[in-house]
Amino acid sequence: MLSLWYHRVMLDPITVSVLTHRFEAIVQEMGEAMLRTAYSQILNSSRDFSTAICDGQARLVAQAEHVPIHVGAIPWAVESVRDAFAGRVRPGDVFLLNDPYHGNNHLPDLTAFVPVFVDDEVAFWSINRAHQSDIGGSTHGAYNPGATEIWQEGLRITPLKLYDAGALRDDVLKMITTNVRHPHDFMGDLRAMIGSAKVGERRLRALLDEYGTKTVVGAVDEILDGAEKQARACVRTWKDGVYRGETILDDDGHGFTDIWIRATVTKKGDALTVDLSDSHRQVHGFINSSFPNTMSAVHMAFAYLIDPRTPKNSGTFRPVKTILKEGTIVWPFAPAPVTLATNHCAQDIAEAIIKALAPACPERSIAGWGRRFRIAIKGVNPRTGRSFIWHLFHARPGGGATAAGDGWETAGEGQAAGGIKFGSVEVAEVRFPLTFEHHEFRADSGGDGMHRGGVGAVLRLRMDTEEPAVANTAGDGIRHAPYGLLGGKDGLPHRYRLLSRGRPPRALKTKEVGIVVRPGDVFFVESSGGGGYGPPSKRARAARAADVGNGVVTKRGAR
Amino acid sequence: MYRVGIDVGGTFTDLAAVDARGRVVIAKSASTPRDPSEGLIEGLRLLAAELGTDLRGLLAATTSIVHGTTVATNALLERKGAKVGLLTTEGHRDVIEMREGLKDDRYNLRMPPPVPLVPRARRLGVRERMRFDGTVMARLDAKSLAAAVGRLAKDGVEAVAVCYLHSYRNARHEVETERLVAKRLPDAYVSLSSEVLPQIKEYERVWTTVVNAYVGPGLARYLASLATRLRAAGYRGDVLIMQSHGGVAPMKESARLAAGAVLSGPAGGVAAGRYSARLLGEGNLITFDMGGTSTDIALLQRGEPQLTGEKTVGVAKVALPALDIHTLGAGGGSIAWVDPGRILHVGPESAGADPGPAGYAKGGMRATVTDANLVLGYLDPANFLGGRIGLDAKAAERAVAQVAKQLGTSLREAALGISRVVNTNMAEGIKIVSVRRGVDPRKFALVAFGGAAGLHVTEVARLLEIRRVVVPSVAAVLSAWGMLATDLRYELVRSHVSEVSRMTPAALRRLFAELEEEGRRRLGAFEGPVSVHRSLDMRYGEQIFEIQVPLDGVDLEAASLLDEVADRFHRRHEELYAYSAPGQEVVIVNARVAVVGALPVLPAEGQAAAGRAAAGPGRRRVWLGDWVEVPVWKLDALAAGHEVKGPAIFESATTTVLAREGERVTVTRHGWLDIRIA
Repeated sequence: MLSLWYHRVMLDPITVSVLTHRFEAIVQEMGEAMLRTAYSQILNSSRDFSTAICDGQARLVAQAEHVPIHVGAIPWAVESVRDAFAGRVRPGDVFLLNDPYHGNNHLPDLTAFVPVFVDDEVAFWSINRAHQSDIGGSTHGAYNPGATEIWQEGLRITPLKLYDAGALRDDVLKMITTNVRHPHDFMGDLRAMIGSAKVGERRLRALLDEYGTKTVVGAVDEILDGAEKQARACVRTWKDGVYRGETILDDDGHGFTDIWIRATVTKKGDALTVDLSDSHRQVHGFINSSFPNTMSAVHMAFAYLIDPRTPKNSGTFRPVKTILKEGTIVWPFAPAPVTLATNHCAQDIAEAIIKALAPACPERSIAGWGRRFRIAIKGVNPRTGRSFIWHLFHARPGGGATAAGDGWETAGEGQAAGGIKFGSVEVAEVRFPLTFEHHEFRADSGGDGMHRGGVGAVLRLRMDTEEPAVANTAGDGIRHAPYGLLGGKDGLPHRYRLLSRGRPPRALKTKEVGIVVRPGDVFFVESSGGGGYGPPSKRARAARAADVGNGVVTKRGAR
Repeated sequence: MYRVGIDVGGTFTDLAAVDARGRVVIAKSASTPRDPSEGLIEGLRLLAAELGTDLRGLLAATTSIVHGTTVATNALLERKGAKVGLLTTEGHRDVIEMREGLKDDRYNLRMPPPVPLVPRARRLGVRERMRFDGTVMARLDAKSLAAAVGRLAKDGVEAVAVCYLHSYRNARHEVETERLVAKRLPDAYVSLSSEVLPQIKEYERVWTTVVNAYVGPGLARYLASLATRLRAAGYRGDVLIMQSHGGVAPMKESARLAAGAVLSGPAGGVAAGRYSARLLGEGNLITFDMGGTSTDIALLQRGEPQLTGEKTVGVAKVALPALDIHTLGAGGGSIAWVDPGRILHVGPESAGADPGPAGYAKGGMRATVTDANLVLGYLDPANFLGGRIGLDAKAAERAVAQVAKQLGTSLREAALGISRVVNTNMAEGIKIVSVRRGVDPRKFALVAFGGAAGLHVTEVARLLEIRRVVVPSVAAVLSAWGMLATDLRYELVRSHVSEVSRMTPAALRRLFAELEEEGRRRLGAFEGPVSVHRSLDMRYGEQIFEIQVPLDGVDLEAASLLDEVADRFHRRHEELYAYSAPGQEVVIVNARVAVVGALPVLPAEGQAAAGRAAAGPGRRRVWLGDWVEVPVWKLDALAAGHEVKGPAIFESATTTVLAREGERVTVTRHGWLDIRIA
């Protein structure tokens, strides 16, 4: 086993450099293939997927830049598949996995794996992880705020073979598609995922043929070591010390409130130890974070803090040691539900670490970003008589400010950081019984500071349905706002309301199921602004004047 | 009688005149960026002198001028466009700055947000609203409109962009708005989204409309100034402006749809590629135009380039049909750097023209691709750009030595490494571009343009398993020349979202007929042959991206029209994405019509390399893993049919070409290099 890695070959730096660029190009091409072939909106428009290459030792070699919270989580998934099928992996196999207690991050992120063989050994894994618009379970759209056990969140797929030596196991596929709500879309997306992983396989094959196995496999060590060196070089410039940071979530939807994530970060020389053991114990609701997802959140925080040009592979994250305690919100015992965790508490884990390290590297630190607060609406479209499901991606919250400048307006949440696209309003109105009455920046929502937090948005969304629809929410951040940093002020928290004729406005909470939405109702959404950076007294006069002139800060807000 | 092609570039203005027999005369003048029409007129004077006449004499004998201009492009890239006000549907004025929620460079959170082309203070909402189907939900409110226009008047805007939701279905409110703007701001340039791009998806439409307003006044001023100068010199013929989509349009039309000219310059390069395809009798070409900071790639299939509606120019999104030119961030000036993990990277940062590569000895200290080429002996320091710029090989060595030190390798290995990395990046870039467009690059030939291309193109070809590379001899003038081979072209689009199953053949015919009528109207009194190309943008039910499905050859009158349309879509989808799903719902989103007025075909006379006698080559040492002495040929003095085996160097005043071991070079009858790679 693993004879490929037995001898470390010496390679010239040029060859390693060239291979680095080749690996990067392969994951990009896989992403390109996915983007163009995926079926559902969440994938082809919102780009909620990642493509990656791991080596036979389950080490991440390259990953396409799509969703930061996918970074670094994939090796656990590969290990899980590899171990489950030890000795039974064959050319032509395609594996699937989504269970967070078997190495995946959460159920909606289905992961497909294609092994790339050299003789009878797996030299690489070509991987596609993509967020499914539905994965079964007791609510549509995968997010179930009512869940207190993982079975209520969706179908659990432990490592399985979908293709066995090139032969589709259609009985297995049938079982899976029977357990999701939109088998047709699911199939379209799955085909795209496997197509994308196959593109990776073909390109890796060509690379192995061109350079020889020893060289390609040997280059992986060099590439990982190179990334490690680069990351360590950056960490070395930070101030040594033991730092603490805390972030707080509103609630879990099942009685727990003010749920804290506590990070104790020890920075010494070129290494970090991140200890999250003091975090809140696990909760009933779906904001618990699976082990791979927590590791990913820690890696994401690290990736945000170091030089962004550093490649993201298993070497990059070697300087970080993570300590977790089982039974906490960051490493729950099964069968705790975890689906929201790629948003929350992932972002909150990352932000606790970033906040902690602010005194160590103030010029690299980042103020708080808005949190996710999604709505999924299910109803019947009176124009077609058919049922529809619509997910809210509009009204994105603002980004946090940094030493480099103001936060980005409406750039979304910190775990995606401008990586999730909302679709065209016109297209949404053509396809769904919805009217976007208003969709603009939310004045005064960005935290004040030397650099202002990015503003969130205001959305008034009217339902043009003719019979009642049902909505669920999922998210956080109506009580706890994005934090200001180093003297900067907090942004405004979210405020979402449902306006229904003849009734008082209903304040929406972040974890609700079965909200009745009547014809003509209006969702009045005001999303968070990002946190400010540095003391407001240091904000340039011209910047303040521009803010008021542009109406992102009102005269009242400026006082 | 002459036709004249004029390509105004950043440094030079290139001109080519062709007479009725196909005789070509060329000239070159210095560009005058402040008012490019000055350099242009000077160029015409030089051209006239070449023909033994004067400016008046030439212009009196000229029937048409085709002109590629970077005025619109530069206004956008340098952000020197007009002061624009934007009127939108009330409650939707931030579409342009929301960027659909996206931010580039995912992991770079310490990155200041971009400054919008139109600040929020000049983006004003107007009370009005169309429904998704084009029916009126709220009538245009006169008071609200008057207030908004009044504010723009007070702000002193030069141009007004108007983009209301769903105006692609019903333009009435935009047209009414234009009327009031014309009354209150008679001098303002007005840009309506329903005219510029009547197409669903507000983000693309509002950007394109704003860009049109931003570059429109400047382009209109320039064209007016040019027209005045030409008229004063006695010119009475047509002036046709090169458009981003590769066709040409008359001045007046071009000034009105200014956003259509933002890629006028690079379109000239593709025109050259198109022309090359014709001369070479090779329809499948990838043009490879490697300059100082970047490399432009375009794919030609069956001699024709593809169009795209997804161009980004600087911060701006322009969704008008444009030649599908992909820009890679790698050129001769790209800077090599070693990350702390000892991985070598090249670009995207570039030394540009100033300070330029270290070897220019103008203060650049960092190693660039050009410096690596100097260290390897590929470039002759004494004979760069025909000796106009002396290069400092020592300075280049010092810069590359820094890279070598960081890599822990030798000077030559580092230089070779820089070359290999940049070649890999360019090859991968071409591969991704081809995959994205559903084609296999191995079936193409590479055509190299641009000063830096000749040293890299064969290696890039080898990495792509491409077997044929062509290097034209006078690439720059070839753009001006190629422009003469382009046609009058009007691209029209209208959104009509409908499932194919709910569409009737009559409705589809009507849609196409309306677009065709509009195209023919714009073509005006054109007397030559006219062709009409129809296509539909289509997708499967749940997809977001549409693909353009050409309908050439489909019988519009056939009863089975819609079946044929759906069938074409499935086949195109299969070509692009390796699968199709017949039986699934197919949706039509946009109808497109291109009305093309064919200009007389350019006679294909070469530059008569035949009859030249090949002077014996010089010799120079170059590094190819070791020092090898190779012959150095003068590109301009090679006789047609001459064959050379690599390794060999070919030099001209504008470029240097390296043929490596295993490459066989033949000189064509036009004096071009036709390189076969074993």
